[in-house]
Amino acid sequence: MLKIENLHATVDGKEILKGLELEVPAGEVHAVMGPNGSGKSTLAYVLAGRPGYAVTAGRISFQGQDLLALSPEERARAGVFLGFQYPVEIPGVNNVYLLKAAINAARKQRGEPEVDAFEFLTLVREKMRLMRMDESMLSRGVNEGFSGGEKKRNEILQMLVLEPRLAVLDETDSGLDIDALKIVAHGVNTLRAPQRSLVLVTHYQRLLEHIVPDRVHVLVNGRIVRSGDRTLALELERRGYDWLIGEAA
Amino acid sequence: MSSAVTEQIRKEYGAVHAALPASVIEPARRAEAIERLCAQGLPATREENWRYTNLRVLEHARFAPVETQSQAVPPLPEALPGFVRYVFVDGLLRSGAAGSHPGLTVRSLRTPGPSSSAAWGPCPDVPEARLALLNEAFATDALLIEAHANAAPAAIELVFAASAGAQAGASYPRVHVVLEAGAELTVLERHMGAPETASLVNSAVRADVGENAHLTHYRLQQCAPRTAWFDTLTAQLAAQARYHLLTVGTGALTARSTVHVRLAGAGAELALSAAALADRQQSHDMYALSEHVAPNTRTTETFRGIASGRARVAFNGKIAVRERAGGSDSRQSLRGLLDGPEAEVDLRPQLEIYTDEIRCSHGATAGKLDQNMLFYLLSRGIAPQTAQHLLKWAFLEDVVARIECAELRRQIERDLASQMSAAATLKELL
Ligand SMILES: Nc1ncnc2c1ncn2[C@@H]1O[C@H](COP(=O)(O)OP(=O)(O)O)[C@@H](O)[C@H]1O
Ligand SMILES: [Mg+2]
Repeated sequence: MLKIENLHATVDGKEILKGLELEVPAGEVHAVMGPNGSGKSTLAYVLAGRPGYAVTAGRISFQGQDLLALSPEERARAGVFLGFQYPVEIPGVNNVYLLKAAINAARKQRGEPEVDAFEFLTLVREKMRLMRMDESMLSRGVNEGFSGGEKKRNEILQMLVLEPRLAVLDETDSGLDIDALKIVAHGVNTLRAPQRSLVLVTHYQRLLEHIVPDRVHVLVNGRIVRSGDRTLALELERRGYDWLIGEAA
Repeated sequence: MSSAVTEQIRKEYGAVHAALPASVIEPARRAEAIERLCAQGLPATREENWRYTNLRVLEHARFAPVETQSQAVPPLPEALPGFVRYVFVDGLLRSGAAGSHPGLTVRSLRTPGPSSSAAWGPCPDVPEARLALLNEAFATDALLIEAHANAAPAAIELVFAASAGAQAGASYPRVHVVLEAGAELTVLERHMGAPETASLVNSAVRADVGENAHLTHYRLQQCAPRTAWFDTLTAQLAAQARYHLLTVGTGALTARSTVHVRLAGAGAELALSAAALADRQQSHDMYALSEHVAPNTRTTETFRGIASGRARVAFNGKIAVRERAGGSDSRQSLRGLLDGPEAEVDLRPQLEIYTDEIRCSHGATAGKLDQNMLFYLLSRGIAPQTAQHLLKWAFLEDVVARIECAELRRQIERDLASQMSAAATLKELL
């Protein structure tokens, strides 16, 4: 599904990713963990194609195609979804419009007709129930005045409605209380499927108790320094990151 | 240069003054207006409150009122439910519902009639009001709208259309709105014109809002692309009066609106919301003075302007709080969006305070589209152009959403979308 080789990326001329390697097969959930500032969000943004994040070397292939050759909107339409660490508020653009425009953009790409209005609302309502979100949120501006937890749930709602091939969730667990965490985790789990891959970027292993990953990778100083099964997350919980930072240096 | 223009004005006035209707404005007052205007000279860009106005268009203008009346009326927008429509072509009332609306008197002063209780005195002697003198000298018609004490709410639409024949001169829309105590009125003013019209439009509007009265005033400037539109609006608010003024400007080559609202009675409230959308070589400039004279008065001012292409958008909002206006409150939120390297936005919030114990909050920012918002939309698969349209749309919504009449709001939204060439990308919203 996703194969990253020797990825080097700079932000404002500063190299943040320094030869990152990562492979996520279809149907698997991988966690990327690491200390603050290690480059996790940078990786997520590079995957989504954010301007200002320059790839200076390396390759990213997604479903066999060159992801780096695609613009951000083309990546999204091809099935890449980024759940933002800090979802953006867009007053004046309402949530339901965004959802519909996003769905239709992907459908158009696939040569399908626009979504039927009734079908669309039924789908959105169902997913909102799953995320325990109030329907009144639909008519509000995108993330406008949402609490931190509501914003994260809204990211997952969008993901559920869009049904991406590859979802990269950047610290979706941060700022969530335990109940909200369970709701979010449940939402994510409903999307696990053989033809879909998930990358969970997280700082703590708390989320991984609810969304059990197939693999865990540790990102330190712009590189994956260790990979393992879910027990690696538990080890990190116990020992912190310092021992790996030492090794990476 | 300016004196050459005033000479031209004097000459044209000399040629037509005998034919100007005395019932609209008495000859002596017209002559006085010309004298005052020529003595003061036309506004110049070196004056601080005219800095951003494109005044060059006045150098080649014809000032005498348009004579042709044979031209067809340009296509009018769909009528709005509940509004009684009056249509002016080249400044003259062409059609309007005759007869009476309960509690309301509407009449053209071209036909002599009983004098109104509320007189429209001469222009105030302030440099910003000079172009109203030009209107006073040349006006060929004036509409008087009186909402009587405690009358039921009513809504009136005024369409000022410039015909294709208007190249040959200027037109002078003139309206006096009077709300007696407790009256409630909505006035919608549209300024528009046949596409090929390159005329000068110079309007003067006065509003007197009585005690406890409530005036909602929508103004749409949708003039033809080569029109020069100048406008002077003065309003006086009595105690507890509420004035909601909402303007949306998309048209004209050059548009300048001068607004002066006096909050003269205790507890009077002004809500001024303005949106401007300018592209190509357009220049949209608004100067708004809100003068707090009485205690516990309140101003809420919102401006959103977008300049694309080589356009310029300017908003100069001055709030003056006089000595006796203790306990007053003012909020100003001015924002501009620069859409392109050659566009220009000038925002000027000014606060002049002569008393203590007042509250005010002011903010003015001009910048480009928010890149975080833009990327968020792209990351959801939305095309870059649609995303840009959407964000511009959302930017103007701060003003547009305040339009209470849903039908009117939709009309304006459609107009804004078509001005942005976004009617196709935003069709889901229209
Ligand atoms: N816009 C930026 N300009 C300069 N440096 C940045 C920018 N964004 C992130 N960085 C730097 O890149 C490094 C990695 O950041 P980030 O990817 O956000 O880390 P993480 O998500 O792992 O906490 C940090 O040192 C951070 O300071
Ligand atoms: Mg991060």
